[in-house]
Amino acid sequence: MSGELRSTPPVKQWFHSAGHEHAPEETQQRYLDILAGFCAWTEKAPDELVQFCFLRKKATGERFASVKRRGTMNDWIEQFVVEQGWTGKDAVANANVVRSFLIHNGVLIQGKVWTGG
Amino acid sequence: MEFKQVVGDRRTIRFFEPNKPVEPEKIQIMLEAANRSSRAVNADFVKAIVCYRDELSEEVREQLKTPTTTIQLDLAPVAIFWYGDMSFAQGAQDRLKELTDLGALPVTHGWSHAYVDDVAFKQVVEPMSKDQMASTWAVSVECGLAINQALLAAVDEGLGVGLHAFNAAAAKEPLGIPDHWIPMWVLLVGYPAEDRLGGGQRPRRPLSASFYRGRYGNPWEEISEVTEDLRRDGMLQDPMDAERRAAEVRELAERFGLPQ
Repeated sequence: MSGELRSTPPVKQWFHSAGHEHAPEETQQRYLDILAGFCAWTEKAPDELVQFCFLRKKATGERFASVKRRGTMNDWIEQFVVEQGWTGKDAVANANVVRSFLIHNGVLIQGKVWTGG
Repeated sequence: MEFKQVVGDRRTIRFFEPNKPVEPEKIQIMLEAANRSSRAVNADFVKAIVCYRDELSEEVREQLKTPTTTIQLDLAPVAIFWYGDMSFAQGAQDRLKELTDLGALPVTHGWSHAYVDDVAFKQVVEPMSKDQMASTWAVSVECGLAINQALLAAVDEGLGVGLHAFNAAAAKEPLGIPDHWIPMWVLLVGYPAEDRLGGGQRPRRPLSASFYRGRYGNPWEEISEVTEDLRRDGMLQDPMDAERRAAEVRELAERFGLPQ
């Protein structure tokens, strides 16, 4: 699954833009596994996740990042994290792996920050 | 710290030590610096609400965020919300007369109580206060002066600062903002978790790109000796190194569990 995922354009874009291509192999695999899990959970392919966050203006057809859709995406990410049983810093960091994928594909999405010890 | 060094060291800090408290004494120094700023008609244009992060609920903090003010609002232990007071004309005559009596507005320059009443207030301050655009402009400029002094005072105290937009509609009720205040910026304050010099100074265009001698089109010519002196005194510093900064951001992202 993660091999297929790695070759999709939005994942290529993510890895290239973030410089993950140069990260250690196990780090790359962790990122891919988290995204693969989220894709399975939402039943959406990577490009569908990105597309979901955008709408087009009825009048002009211009694409824009939907606040409501991004809110929904953030809710999904949080639900996904809870269902995985991640807690503490893992919960924050793993959720932000998915957000990183979206950010590097042009979706501004605000996450949480781990401020614990 | 010397003034030129303070100006040179200032950066917009986006990564704060979330659990290192900021001393109220240092906040007071910042507020006093703002209170000492240059101001027209000796009016208190600038207003501020000092909020300690943990006194704001997570829900309110979320609502205060904007597309450009994000997790730094969760990291900074203190947020100072700056506002401009549109009622600045109230009491202007009395304040101008006080300055006249003190000699700050001297008779040599035409100042008297009659001048305050008949000219300065009636022909300048009052009409401006009734012109929404002119008064918004004046209040904003005056607030900018004050905020910048607070910001530089923070740097002088070894703090990190970042000036950002905030969701003013969301702030109004929880902060109890009066209707005659207009929102300016939020100044986030804390000890930097990143290099306090942010990996170097941000790119700036040369003076000649923005400053002119005598008329537009005649650019200011830099005096190289002055430039060298400013470099020695710390106002001018080495530029950012993108590679080093990227490594630092990666480390900070790991520490705070942030997207990379």
